[in-house]
Amino acid sequence: MNEILIKNACVIDPISGINGEIMDIAVSDGRIVEEVGSGAEVIDAEGFLTLPGGIDSHTHICGTKVNFGRYMSPEDMRAGRTPRRGRMHSTSGYSVPTTYGNSYRYSGMGYTALLEGAMAPLEARHTHEEFAYTPLQDTMANVLFDGNWAIMEAVREKDTKRAAAIVGWTLAAVKGFGVKLTNPGGTEAWGWGKNVSSITDVVPYFEVTPGEIIDTMIRATEMLALPHSVHIHCNNLGLPGNYRTTLDTFDLVPDLNRKRQTLYATHVQFHAYGGTSWSDFCSKAEEITRSVNEKPQIVIDMGQVMFGKTTTMTADGPMEFNLYRLHHNKWSNHDVELETGSGIIPVLYRRKNLVNSIMWAIGLELALLTKNPWQCLLTTDNPNGAPFVRYPEIIGLLMSRKYREAEFATIHPDTEHRVSLPSIERELDWQEIAVMTRAGQARALGIVDIGKGRLAPGAEADIAIYPLKIGEVDPGREYERVIEGFRQTEYTIKRGRIVSRRGECLVWGNNTTIWVKPKISERYDMAQDPAFVEKFDRYYTVRMRNYPVQEEYLKRNLCIETETEL
Amino acid sequence: MRVTLQVKPRKKPFLPIEAETIVPAHFLDGTDLVVWKGNRELPLSDVFSVTVEGTAETADEVEITMRGDTSRIKRVGEYMEAGRIVIEDDIGMHCGNFMSGGTIEIGGNADGWLAREMRGGSIICRGNAGNYCASGYRGEKRGMTGGTVEVFGNVGDFAAETLAGGCVVIHGSAGDMAGTEMRGGTLRIEGDCTRVCGNMTAGTCYVFGTVHDMLPTFRRRGTAVHDGVTLTAFTGDIANRGKGNLFVRDYKYMD
Repeated sequence: MNEILIKNACVIDPISGINGEIMDIAVSDGRIVEEVGSGAEVIDAEGFLTLPGGIDSHTHICGTKVNFGRYMSPEDMRAGRTPRRGRMHSTSGYSVPTTYGNSYRYSGMGYTALLEGAMAPLEARHTHEEFAYTPLQDTMANVLFDGNWAIMEAVREKDTKRAAAIVGWTLAAVKGFGVKLTNPGGTEAWGWGKNVSSITDVVPYFEVTPGEIIDTMIRATEMLALPHSVHIHCNNLGLPGNYRTTLDTFDLVPDLNRKRQTLYATHVQFHAYGGTSWSDFCSKAEEITRSVNEKPQIVIDMGQVMFGKTTTMTADGPMEFNLYRLHHNKWSNHDVELETGSGIIPVLYRRKNLVNSIMWAIGLELALLTKNPWQCLLTTDNPNGAPFVRYPEIIGLLMSRKYREAEFATIHPDTEHRVSLPSIERELDWQEIAVMTRAGQARALGIVDIGKGRLAPGAEADIAIYPLKIGEVDPGREYERVIEGFRQTEYTIKRGRIVSRRGECLVWGNNTTIWVKPKISERYDMAQDPAFVEKFDRYYTVRMRNYPVQEEYLKRNLCIETETEL
Repeated sequence: MRVTLQVKPRKKPFLPIEAETIVPAHFLDGTDLVVWKGNRELPLSDVFSVTVEGTAETADEVEITMRGDTSRIKRVGEYMEAGRIVIEDDIGMHCGNFMSGGTIEIGGNADGWLAREMRGGSIICRGNAGNYCASGYRGEKRGMTGGTVEVFGNVGDFAAETLAGGCVVIHGSAGDMAGTEMRGGTLRIEGDCTRVCGNMTAGTCYVFGTVHDMLPTFRRRGTAVHDGVTLTAFTGDIANRGKGNLFVRDYKYMD
């Protein structure tokens, strides 16, 4: 039995209500326990900051579009290379690294669970194959339903139960975790060379609106009692004036769940834009956060932009085409049959560019103006806003007004007329950062009950020990020490084993893929629904019996079965 | 200084050897170099009989001669800046990657990716060259940016793809899609080719043979005489708002 005793840990565990207490943590058999025997390995944490393992609730690390990002960007593959060392494989890439590159770098930063933000169901096998080679984190995949023909037909018939049945069947078939809507309706419209510009626009040939899709999917998700809520990338991403669409979307959301939010809106930075064109482009973070502050049923994540090179990738095909027309660089576009699509382009966010400077400020404003840190989580929509290796800098910016001012002085001078960031005094504390990087994610994803995001006895022993003594660092002034501290853990412990020691990964982690299987009665089993089966066989290029992802694609896995109303 | 590398008999001659260390400048410090076979590092002398005559102060004075079955020796001359490499027979893939100066002469055929992303210097290949001759890497926007490549035989598909500078001369025929995504430089094909210069934005391409499956997105703007031959002049690729120059002696559109 593998036992560890961590002594003198300075623990912040928001879910258990522990804030900066010096204590010992006992680990046995992958779980946190009350006490261990005398034979346990002892780690002296020396009073270092000890948090539950980091969780990224929206990142793009595995799957077809990530891989195409690698394929079309040899310059990115050349940007960061490490040779094989000890138990670590060689890695390459910066914004879209190899799976090992992602896994080792996340692990070095203390992350132990990742949610792939968008998996096209038809291409799920690729995502699961890459999950198997992302060894040091538990993985989950949100499944794209934004342009699903069967769902849109159910929405048109106003048949929420049928929509829920389709979601349930698909999630179990592709071993997915939650429901993702990317530009609902818009990606399907893009298949016809069109888009939707508000939540009341009609999707061509389906006669449904994005608002109807969102509303039905929220109700279907609650009907299936999924651990995570609907996870939405709103319509009109990246367009001036899109904050109205975002607010309209938030106004749709009823409060249906006592344990978590009812809607998770991702990378809201890209959806908080004012103005009518790029010339009067400005921040509407105040309006967005006012709405979020009034609505406990909504959780957002930042989608922070950081200056430098990266690769943007999303299922939002029309948006990527608009970006391509701005940059005229490389562009990839992809259609996924009856389900969704995607687009990829490389970008460079520049300090001297006014629009990019405003985008940078908006992400920070969202985090600082959202009163409750449980409602605004730290992400960059990796790699769309910036690669995840920039998270420590974002923590520094949130904790230090001085750092924000220093950075603000280097960006486009007109930015100050378009944003409210310079007037925001708030500096987040250690506890709030712990919420925004792990506890909030665990609650929002609904994985607290399976032992994530907390350090109380019974929880999974996913622990990150950072070389930071919170009593001795003033984050407001010494932001550089904060950034250094969060860049690399002393120890990252995953399922009770030390997986990373000062950036050196020590074991083949063998991750757990967490997936969801709603229990659905035979009456609602879509595999036996004649109309569904007939359409499937008629329009898909694969046979229905070949569609579900076989069990052998999952290595270690945890299936969450939910009790549904169907 | 003359360095001769004679390939020793190999049990499995099909296994490729990665030899990016074979660059003239490296021999100024002796012959204690390594090459890779799969994931195994081998001393240069395990694969070659190495003989050195004379001395050299600079890489310019180094001439490397490679003899024997070099058809599976890859990446020879990668990042080469000066000096001369003479390959008597065939050479493996990626010869002259990123080369910026000096000369490579190949007596036989070259495998794929000859002179990929070349920046300067010159490469002469007396036989045929494989696919992606003088091209960029897959996904890269700019390929070869300078120098000259001359192939006396035929080349495979995607020759001079994303060519951005320098000069590529092919005395034989080219395969499919030569000069695709060209954005600069000069491509000269003495023989035939198919679907040439798709999505080209700038640069100049001459074809002295026949272009099969000529792309309809090039606008004809008259004739021009080049090297005493009357050629039809085109501008394109207009599908990409391109302003490239394409001159062809004969062309056939797809039926």
